[in-house]
Amino acid sequence: QVLMEAWEKGVNPEGNSTNPTNWDFSNSFFFAGTVVTTIGYGNLSPSTVAGQIFCVFYALFGVPLNLAFLNQLGKGLNAHLLTLERWVQKPGRAQVQLAIFLTTGTLLFLVFPPLVFSYVEGWSYGEGFYFTFITLSTIGFGDYVVGTNPNKHYIPVYRSLTAIWIVFGLAWLALVFNVGADLMERYLQLKWHKSDLSLAEGATTKLEDEPEQPRIHIPS
Amino acid sequence: LLAAYVGYVGLGAAVLQALERPAEVQAAQHLLQEHWELLANHTCLQGPALQRLIEGIIQAYKSGITLQGNTTSLGRWDYSGSFFFSISAITTIGYGNLSPSTAAGRIFCIVFGLFGIPLNLILLNEIGQLMLLGVQRCACRLEEVFHWQNKASFLMKTCALVTGLLLFLLLPPLLFSEKEGWSYEEGFYYSFITLSTIGFGDYVIGMNADRTYPSWYKNVISLWILFGMAWLALVIKFCINLLE
Repeated sequence: QVLMEAWEKGVNPEGNSTNPTNWDFSNSFFFAGTVVTTIGYGNLSPSTVAGQIFCVFYALFGVPLNLAFLNQLGKGLNAHLLTLERWVQKPGRAQVQLAIFLTTGTLLFLVFPPLVFSYVEGWSYGEGFYFTFITLSTIGFGDYVVGTNPNKHYIPVYRSLTAIWIVFGLAWLALVFNVGADLMERYLQLKWHKSDLSLAEGATTKLEDEPEQPRIHIPS
Repeated sequence: LLAAYVGYVGLGAAVLQALERPAEVQAAQHLLQEHWELLANHTCLQGPALQRLIEGIIQAYKSGITLQGNTTSLGRWDYSGSFFFSISAITTIGYGNLSPSTAAGRIFCIVFGLFGIPLNLILLNEIGQLMLLGVQRCACRLEEVFHWQNKASFLMKTCALVTGLLLFLLLPPLLFSEKEGWSYEEGFYYSFITLSTIGFGDYVIGMNADRTYPSWYKNVISLWILFGMAWLALVIKFCINLLE
């Protein structure tokens, strides 16, 4: 019983003395980041009533802030792509642009980081890839979390670098999901033959209503 | 914007540290005390053996088995539990109290999420649009009946906001405190963390082995999650519009 209570408060019972605290500034910063990005690992979570209430209101303002920030980042990434394409001097075809975007992103955010993680954390490549995907999709189970092994020694910038990677990876993956949702929607609409009336209605409501995550359309 | 973002996260970190650190220290000390007392009172029990048991318990706890009472609570991956897990995956809530431990399960989880998350986004979008349509129709009807002009739309929006607040954030914790034995504040905390898809997993419904739940419980909760998420997404969207 006592073990579980301690575990829930984030104390690691395996040591012989009180371990270095879990709520120092660096860890709290990481935790605040997981709240605002809605990843929410859960390996560490507020156990005091005050902490929980603060967490709720913190997220209420932090999540929109995060979405606005990712939106800006996505637009910036998009603009980068456009300049890159003009550089290559190919007449702009949406498919080519999309392909380049997908492959660079996949390499940079999905294929390469697990190598780093498996080296630093001692995970297998598969576990690193699993962690990468679960984190970037903001599912965030929390069964694997970077920088939480008390037996390992991490360089100080490790967490900050991971945080930067998470932010950019989130922006990229959000773009991918939005494009995917767009494609799925168009596919489903073709299948179900939505009538013109509902399309007109949809057009009037779309002025006020946008999809859940800000949709950044790759210009065709 | 970047500065505001980093500053905001830093602020949150400082506050949380101040709030949580004392409790953690206390829990650690309590644990140590119990540990030494146990070893002192039962001299037949060896230190290393106890250590191994503790490590074993932690491993089991991580994979979702709790050791309360005389038996272990198994059966978390039955159909109902797996269904709930799938929902937590594609809505990106991701509690984590239950997570695949086999390699095949994890690979499946990744592919499942890759298609499930856009699907979930579409569904939430549809529900949100339906809600918005409903609110606007009511506003139009109010305008016809009372001959207000722009005020009707504003009134309807605040009305929808308040109803949503009641329905999704203020009333469910009452249900939870009755069924799960949480305090109201814990229920509210759980509701918000779930609907915002943060999903820590420190509180999860239906996981207490000592309690019996009615059969409709999990299904109703799933519906609540879906509609509540759509509503909260709309609210956050309006907040973003205000921010920009």
